[in-house]
Amino acid sequence: MASEDTSPSHSHHRDSIKSSVGNTAANRRRQQAISIGKERREALIRAKRLCRDSIFDDDDNEKGLDEGEMVIDEEQSVLNARTAQTVQELKSSLSYQGKDATQKTIEALRALRKLLSKSEVPPIEAAIQGGAVPLLVQCLSFGSADEQLLEAAWCVTNIAAGGPEETKSLLPALPLLIAHLGEKSSVHVAEQCAWALGNVAGEDMELRSILFAQGALLSLTRLMLSNRESTARTAAWALSNLIKGPDPKAANELIRIEAITDTIVKHLKTADEELVTEVAWVVVYLSALSDKAISILVRSDVVPVLVNRLVGSESLQLLIPVLRSLGNLVAADAYITHSILIVGNDITDQVLYGLIKCLKSEHRVLKKEALWVLSNIAAGTLEHKTLIFSSEAVPLLIDLLSAAPFEIRKEAAYTLGNICVGPTKGSDNKSDIIVTHLVPLVKGGCLPGFVNLVRSADVESARVGLIFLELVMRGYPNGEGPKLVEREDGIDAMERFQFHENQEMRNVANALVDKYFGADYGV
Amino acid sequence: MDSMDSSVASPDLGLALGFPFWVASRRRFKPDDPFFASGNLERELLAKHVALDLTEDERFQLQRMEIADANLFCPIAGCGARLEYLEEFEDHYNTRHMASCSVCFRVYPTSRLLSIHISEVHDSFFQAKVARGFPMYECLVEGCGAKLKSYKSRQRHLIDKHRFPSNFEFYKKAHPSKHQRQKLQRKAYKGGDAKDQESFMDLDAKKESKQTRPKHYRPKQEVKTGTERESEMEVETKLHHPQTTETKVVTNSEAKNEKAKAETEMEVEERIEDIVSGISKLSTVDASSPSSVSFGHRHSRGFAFVPRSVRNQNQISKREQTRKP
Repeated sequence: MASEDTSPSHSHHRDSIKSSVGNTAANRRRQQAISIGKERREALIRAKRLCRDSIFDDDDNEKGLDEGEMVIDEEQSVLNARTAQTVQELKSSLSYQGKDATQKTIEALRALRKLLSKSEVPPIEAAIQGGAVPLLVQCLSFGSADEQLLEAAWCVTNIAAGGPEETKSLLPALPLLIAHLGEKSSVHVAEQCAWALGNVAGEDMELRSILFAQGALLSLTRLMLSNRESTARTAAWALSNLIKGPDPKAANELIRIEAITDTIVKHLKTADEELVTEVAWVVVYLSALSDKAISILVRSDVVPVLVNRLVGSESLQLLIPVLRSLGNLVAADAYITHSILIVGNDITDQVLYGLIKCLKSEHRVLKKEALWVLSNIAAGTLEHKTLIFSSEAVPLLIDLLSAAPFEIRKEAAYTLGNICVGPTKGSDNKSDIIVTHLVPLVKGGCLPGFVNLVRSADVESARVGLIFLELVMRGYPNGEGPKLVEREDGIDAMERFQFHENQEMRNVANALVDKYFGADYGV
Repeated sequence: MDSMDSSVASPDLGLALGFPFWVASRRRFKPDDPFFASGNLERELLAKHVALDLTEDERFQLQRMEIADANLFCPIAGCGARLEYLEEFEDHYNTRHMASCSVCFRVYPTSRLLSIHISEVHDSFFQAKVARGFPMYECLVEGCGAKLKSYKSRQRHLIDKHRFPSNFEFYKKAHPSKHQRQKLQRKAYKGGDAKDQESFMDLDAKKESKQTRPKHYRPKQEVKTGTERESEMEVETKLHHPQTTETKVVTNSEAKNEKAKAETEMEVEERIEDIVSGISKLSTVDASSPSSVSFGHRHSRGFAFVPRSVRNQNQISKREQTRKP
């Protein structure tokens, strides 16, 4: 089945599409109720990229031919029939022994390629059922003309953008694709093959394992060193799909490649934000999966460069992986907060600035993940807590705790709590409460937000809320804590747990209520 | 991922397993953790330039669908209602789990538990039957059907048969502060004063947990005879309102209470003979009929039995009481 459903509510067109077609699609969308089917949603979130346009926008005269091409806007059944026919033509051209065999093959391939790239919903299934795959494999054989390789790889790219069954049907083609990544290949061919492999790797762990076993990692890495930005970009993206796990073996192998850290740093510094984005995603997966990588990366230039980009860029697309890389690094290794982000260092102020910028942005993802990083920094030394406490983050934090969507509120809660709790423990084995932070935060109005969390249906949030209330009731000076909590209807919130299905929550909440609001309360 | 799962032994909080005090520690997530899902989605949308084509609606729906996958259910024991999104919980809770007793303001998550409470705590008839040895204490687990002779044995049953935690108390004490708050609210208007109701008919004959309740809210524990109760109520009244000049009990509610006293005192014996379960609910003046239950409105507690004249005056304070959601 094609990767996108046939609902007219969406068009995948990029900029090469003529405006009239775009308007028609838009009109159709407006006129119909929009509801996203599961299939369409899966197509949207898939880590695959359909190749609609030629990857080289240089002088090539073929581009001229393509440009005049309108979008193929046909009924699916007609499209399927055309596809089947085109595959047949390809088949016959391949068995043709004559002089123009190659040319015929290329033309047939091109026709198939166009069907697979210019249709709103590519007829992937039809192509496979028509027997395209073995033919494409044949077209990818060594010694074939560059143009043939290119067109064939392009067809495979788009077939690999489909669903699991469709992608898996391409198994026979994989070793050839990997082989054509080699340095002897035309750079365009290599890039197109990298794209195809990226789509295959984006499918699932099984295919990633196969590609890894077949040696895709090294070849893609070498390709990432290319001077051509589009090639480096495609290779980086394909690499990120290859190492994304959950099995860490590819990530662990990648970091062992000698020049990799330098390459990463170099690319992270370039002006091309798209390249930076893709390489940052490679860092995301390295830092998420490989402890060895973390250890190497934190001692390299990667962290300062990431911080620079965090501060300097406004592109959401770039900020997400940059922020997450930093997040993964900070979360995994105390080295960063203790040796790099030392309070007083310029870089530390920069990070804070960058994170606050994300807090102020309107993007949910940036807010949430920045809070996560901040909460981890706040779990560092006393100086870190004080630094954050005295920054402009605090009013933002309280505001986010009160008014943001729930998943953001939870992260804000962790941050605020971590600011109030010291790294050391007292003789009672409880972490020290930093009263000088706690009091102003409570006065600043953070309690209602925490009580609200206690009311949440999400057990983890409720727990965070309860544990913070405990801090307040235990640590707020002059025993005023319970009163303050009560004023915010904290007792009500805690009493809800009496009939909560989670035993730990019941016990914790009951214990708090019994201890702080017992018989002698309020007398 | 959880930074706080190392519980510290805490005898002062009385928890066997220790209390999970806040520990400031770093949290790490695997790359396929749901935490990163929205960021991953954003990546794909942006990369495919689909962001340009997606309408606000579609975007919103995508985000919703992600969260919907998380399988949210109401965490109140026995409910299991599916929640489409987290923010829905509060509404759901207020609609379904706020059965509140208009006498003592306790809130229960189901109407069944509320009615059990009302019988056991506010129904003198119930107490009378208990005194005569009938097994009146229902098992709290719906569908079990067991009835026990005492609060304690019912407790035992819950722990043994239904694995309730040993510190579970059906009769959690109401908090003085809550009453105090409501008292202060009611003091704010002149005229009706329903606050005495709570102290009168509250036949809290249950065993207390280790802490004793503050005297001014709860009479003593054992079931008392009519006269004992009467004198105690009087004593309570005095303790309650040492300065009752302007907050005197309104005539008609006083009359009501007098009547109640008379009833329970003199007629309890007769009532017992006419055993019809329905009647038991009607025989007490104050609380037990289900029509008194207020659902979904947290702050309508306490007003169901106030005479209409008084209730009208209450409207203002009721509005004042309403918290912002």
